[in-house]
Amino acid sequence: MRYILILLIFININLFATVLDEKCLKCHINQKIPSDMIYRKYLLKYSTKESISKAIYKYIKAPSPDISIMPKPFFSKFPIKPLLNIEDSELKGLIELYIKKYDIKKRLRLQHDKQ
Amino acid sequence: MLRSEKKSLVRFLVIYMTSTMVLFGIASLIFYRYSKQNIIEQQQQNLKYEAKHLLSKLRHLHQSHDKILYYPNPREYKSAIYDLNKNYIFGSFGKVIHYDAMCTDDKVLVYKEKVEPYYLGSAYMLLSQPLNQQAITKLHQKVLWMMLIAGIFFSILGYFLGRLFVAPMRESIEKMNQFIQDTTHELNTPISTILTNIEMIETFHPHINHTDEFKRIEIASKTLSIIYDDLSYLKLNHNYHREIIPVDMASILKQRVIYFESIAKSKDVDIELIIKDNITLMIDHNDAIRVIDNLLSNAIKYNKIKGSIKIVLDTNYLSIQDSGIGIKKEDLKLIQQRFQRVNSSEGGFGVGLDIVGQVVSYYNFKLEISSTYTQGSQFTIRWNI
Repeated sequence: MRYILILLIFININLFATVLDEKCLKCHINQKIPSDMIYRKYLLKYSTKESISKAIYKYIKAPSPDISIMPKPFFSKFPIKPLLNIEDSELKGLIELYIKKYDIKKRLRLQHDKQ
Repeated sequence: MLRSEKKSLVRFLVIYMTSTMVLFGIASLIFYRYSKQNIIEQQQQNLKYEAKHLLSKLRHLHQSHDKILYYPNPREYKSAIYDLNKNYIFGSFGKVIHYDAMCTDDKVLVYKEKVEPYYLGSAYMLLSQPLNQQAITKLHQKVLWMMLIAGIFFSILGYFLGRLFVAPMRESIEKMNQFIQDTTHELNTPISTILTNIEMIETFHPHINHTDEFKRIEIASKTLSIIYDDLSYLKLNHNYHREIIPVDMASILKQRVIYFESIAKSKDVDIELIIKDNITLMIDHNDAIRVIDNLLSNAIKYNKIKGSIKIVLDTNYLSIQDSGIGIKKEDLKLIQQRFQRVNSSEGGFGVGLDIVGQVVSYYNFKLEISSTYTQGSQFTIRWNI
């Protein structure tokens, strides 16, 4: 029973990851806007995952250059993203997955590990 | 150095040294705390400088596109970064350190700073390094040396100040001693002449012996003789060679009571003797006489008219109890000091109990004084203690 549960979670995560790539990151890749860079911008401004999550949610729900993390001149080159037709619960899950994917903690190592 | 002079000098030195060292101790403590704070602040300043370095490295890491971001880990200090909610992000401590749990103490220096903008999401950073004890140990040694040098300096200064302080007292005691020496020297011949002639009158003219006038002359002469003996004893005290032999205390006590009989009769004082025979003490004969004479003389002098004296000689003690004026409680400690007389109604130099005290302490006896003011006093000398 336990193994089945783990398997279901794994499938669910992968399924979500595929949805994230499809619904969110695909455009970024096409427009050659590194998602990692955008996440760093969020990190630089909001620090905590909760605040980042709220900021992304707010932007996706009503995209506007005024609340975007990107500077205003950015939108003279790239169009504002279209409104997504996603359920709130699904959106929140995708945002969580996005934050997990680019979580800075996963990439940090101590300097002596380099030697 | 005279006993009283030594005592005053010691008292002065104790007060002077205690107050000086307390003041100097407080000053040293303030200096120590101030210097220690300076050392800590200096080290804290270094840590602050390192924090700026760390911040610059965090900025570089934040902008880096490398897959692995290497967090700085220098030997000098450990650090950690925290998000806006003070949740641990990463650090070089090797374990999760809570931001508010760590503070500077006697062993560890901690420096905390806010970070803005939030590089790598860090809103706070914490740096820590062990406190450099070398500088503090040096400070300890410096303060101890200061205390030691000040202690020696103030002791020497205090000694000379003390000598200056007791100089007037020394001068007056020396003058008094000189006066006593001169007086005793001048009194020697007339007293001897009077006493010899009294003895001659008693032998060759017994009818004169019983007259009141003669009795008064006899009493006055004996009183003078006792004073002379006391003063001579004090004058020769330092150079006096004691011949310590077995002395029959019962016999000597009886002799001295007979000697004082005429003086006691002049005040109608009744002397009761409870003497155990064959009590022998290893003592100088003159010392024994001085002790008995002084205690008896005081018992008569400070007694009431028609009073009584009870003398008890036992195996281990001699006690002389009078029904006299008594001594106030607060004066009990003073009466053994030289030239100290707590009652000025009677004449004298105030040397009697000083002599008794000196003899008692020389032979390691014990002098007990109990007294009730206006009721009488009891002086007990105990030996074999």
